[in-house]
Amino acid sequence: MSEQSAAATELVDMVHLNEGIKEVVVIAFQINIMALNAILLANRAGRAALGFSVISKELRVLSVELTRVMQLLKQDAYRSVALITDLLRQERRAKLMQAANVLSGEHCGALKQRLGQQKQAFSRIRTDIRQYRRELQVKLDDAQKICQFGIAISRSAKIEAAYGAAYSNQLSEVSQDFDQNIQAIVPALAALHDGLGRQA
Amino acid sequence: MKQATVIFQQGDHRWTLIARDPDKHGYVIDTNEYLISSGNDNLLTDPGGSEIFPAVFSAISAVADPLSIRSLFASHQDPDIISSLGLWLDFNPQLHCYISRLWATFIPHFGGDDQTLIPIPDEGMSFRHGQLELQAVPAHYLHSSGNMQLYDSAARILFSGDVGAALLPEEDGGLFVTEFDQHIRHAEGFHRRWMGSTEAKLDWCERAAKLNPDMMCPQHGAVYQGSDVMRFINWFAALPVGSGIKR
Repeated sequence: MSEQSAAATELVDMVHLNEGIKEVVVIAFQINIMALNAILLANRAGRAALGFSVISKELRVLSVELTRVMQLLKQDAYRSVALITDLLRQERRAKLMQAANVLSGEHCGALKQRLGQQKQAFSRIRTDIRQYRRELQVKLDDAQKICQFGIAISRSAKIEAAYGAAYSNQLSEVSQDFDQNIQAIVPALAALHDGLGRQA
Repeated sequence: MKQATVIFQQGDHRWTLIARDPDKHGYVIDTNEYLISSGNDNLLTDPGGSEIFPAVFSAISAVADPLSIRSLFASHQDPDIISSLGLWLDFNPQLHCYISRLWATFIPHFGGDDQTLIPIPDEGMSFRHGQLELQAVPAHYLHSSGNMQLYDSAARILFSGDVGAALLPEEDGGLFVTEFDQHIRHAEGFHRRWMGSTEAKLDWCERAAKLNPDMMCPQHGAVYQGSDVMRFINWFAALPVGSGIKR
């Protein structure tokens, strides 16, 4: 694969990452609203749903934290896009300068010197891009850990729902929704992580 | 590859025309670049688009050290005129580029910044190039709303940008206009469509006639010399322009 197409692939990866981030943020928002409704429902259920209320509050905190991590990811992805775009632009210029060098033969030593300097600059940009990819992967790891925690508490929510007396069925439905939403995030994050890991 | 041909020389004062690339892709318009030399200082007019940078660069490097190019002059903002700016600056970050003040904040999309670009006021200006005093001459609305030409009074050559441009057939590769009536047929459609204002056109014709150049060098096509310069000015003065829109 040529260096130029490698940079173009990096750009496509970042576009996929951004799309994935949007998807996760939407689900996190839904969990937040769902948790708010669950808190209100648990309040109506009274003492029987005290545990469910605590879990719902935890899920709200979790959705806020997940959104925060996704915002950080978005910022890093934005910086990566800027670097990759710069690399693509410079690579295009280098290609044209290389063509000029071939046509000029031995006429212009200064051009060869510039091409050498450009090569070093590319190497620096590529190092920066690799660093951003690693940072993005660390943040995706964080997001995955948050989700694993979310899965664990949504299971606890299912158990707590069983103690909800008259509200048991409603709480059970809510806990089911929690579980489904958090389960939906997991493959999305895994796909993003794999996508970034492919070339890093 | 483009060829470099000296079209004027007096001591170390020289105009070199860079033109006619037989290897150029058909989908890219052909352009003329002019290298104005004064001693070891060179200025390149309308250096061209990035796609043709290798051809222009190599043609120049065959006759001059590209590092001796101190400045660029861009008649207006079009991609075939100045989209290679970023490449020239990659090669030599010390370069300056003269451009109408109207485009000074647009051109950085091709490369450069407020240190690189020297904005030319609407009324034009004179500037030093080596031992020469060159004149940036306004030609606004003649192809572009902010448009400049370059006059070298010592050589009596006017670099006229798109004014005088002709889209010549491939078989007509001459560097100079030899049969005016034949040649001008290839310029007519272009001028009717790309020149936007009769008032601006007449204003330019008057100014150009007063300059009375020996040579008029457009960015496309062939160079007018001698009496063909005045012939062109008269032809242009009579040509209806801004009439390309069919209703």
